[in-house]
Amino acid sequence: MPDLPRKKVGLIACSGEERAEGTVTRRAVRQVLEKLRPDDTVTLCLPLFLAGGEGERAFARRYPTIAVDGCDERCAARATERYSARPAASIVVTEIAKESGSPDIGTARRLNGSGLRLADTAAARIAGETDRLLQRPRRRITEPAAAAGGCSCGSGLPQGTLRISGSDVRVAGLPIIFAQARERGLEPNAGTAAVLLETVGIYNEVPADRKQAWTDALIQGYAGFLEEKG
Amino acid sequence: MKRKIAVAPCSGIGKSLGAAAREAAFILAEDLRPDKTKMVALSLLVMGDGPAKLEVAGGEAVAIDGCKLECAAKVLACSGAAKVHKIAVFDVLRRHRGLKPEGVCDLNEDGSKLARAAAEEAAGIVDGIDGEDGHA
Repeated sequence: MPDLPRKKVGLIACSGEERAEGTVTRRAVRQVLEKLRPDDTVTLCLPLFLAGGEGERAFARRYPTIAVDGCDERCAARATERYSARPAASIVVTEIAKESGSPDIGTARRLNGSGLRLADTAAARIAGETDRLLQRPRRRITEPAAAAGGCSCGSGLPQGTLRISGSDVRVAGLPIIFAQARERGLEPNAGTAAVLLETVGIYNEVPADRKQAWTDALIQGYAGFLEEKG
Repeated sequence: MKRKIAVAPCSGIGKSLGAAAREAAFILAEDLRPDKTKMVALSLLVMGDGPAKLEVAGGEAVAIDGCKLECAAKVLACSGAAKVHKIAVFDVLRRHRGLKPEGVCDLNEDGSKLARAAAEEAAGIVDGIDGEDGHA
């Protein structure tokens, strides 16, 4: 059973297709998600900020984020700040490359050995920032590989649907949240609804003026989930 | 001299289909139609970067998206593309049912085949645009 921790750090890679450093950001972020800090991180999708991903905006407003940029244009950091909230940390690959002396790292399509090593260094830096933001003691960066890391667009967090005020609303993480509540033996009552609402609010935008509607839908949805599971 | 057709893949980082979309854009712009197309970084368009928007505004563009959220298509439209031609990698996968793409940073062989198939479909679209001679 996958677990939803109370707090995660959102990682936003610029993924810039014009520069090899953009590819380094992708590789470094995936490394943190898959191997270094799989339980503590999710990815936030940069283009979704503009394309209407309210889930990404909501997450970044409430939880710490690390922007990982390929160059000093800092698209990921600036987009996060513009559409949501200022990132808690910002990492720029060209700066790391300068420190580590990696002038030739390959192309955006194919990194060479130096590029791969640069991605390792950037990943270690991201993992360190994650520990700092979560106030965790620094850990060794070489840890066993875990399951694929979570992605806020839904690849890591399964989505469910709630019927809220007559409309179907996609809710990130809903099946896992319901499953965990069931595992804890929670009944579909007002107390449980408050817990569910708080957890759902980590991954979704719950408008302040619609909390009651969400609460009602969560109780109803959870009751249906329990019935289905027997 | 004709302006090159802007190509933007989604920056999907959570799924192998996003990675295939990115690889498809590289195959299209570097291998299949290097004289007719130009990759545009989605991150720059998200930030409204002037030079990047100039590559897109008023012309036809090709979006290669990994999932139904269609980020690349939406961002190209927001950046002023006159017409956005969409390649949906998940639809390409439906037409190549035997493929099982895996990996994000390193696509497996099926992922690479899927990227190639998507790029070839995109190349057909580019040829169509070129044939109409409608691109300024």
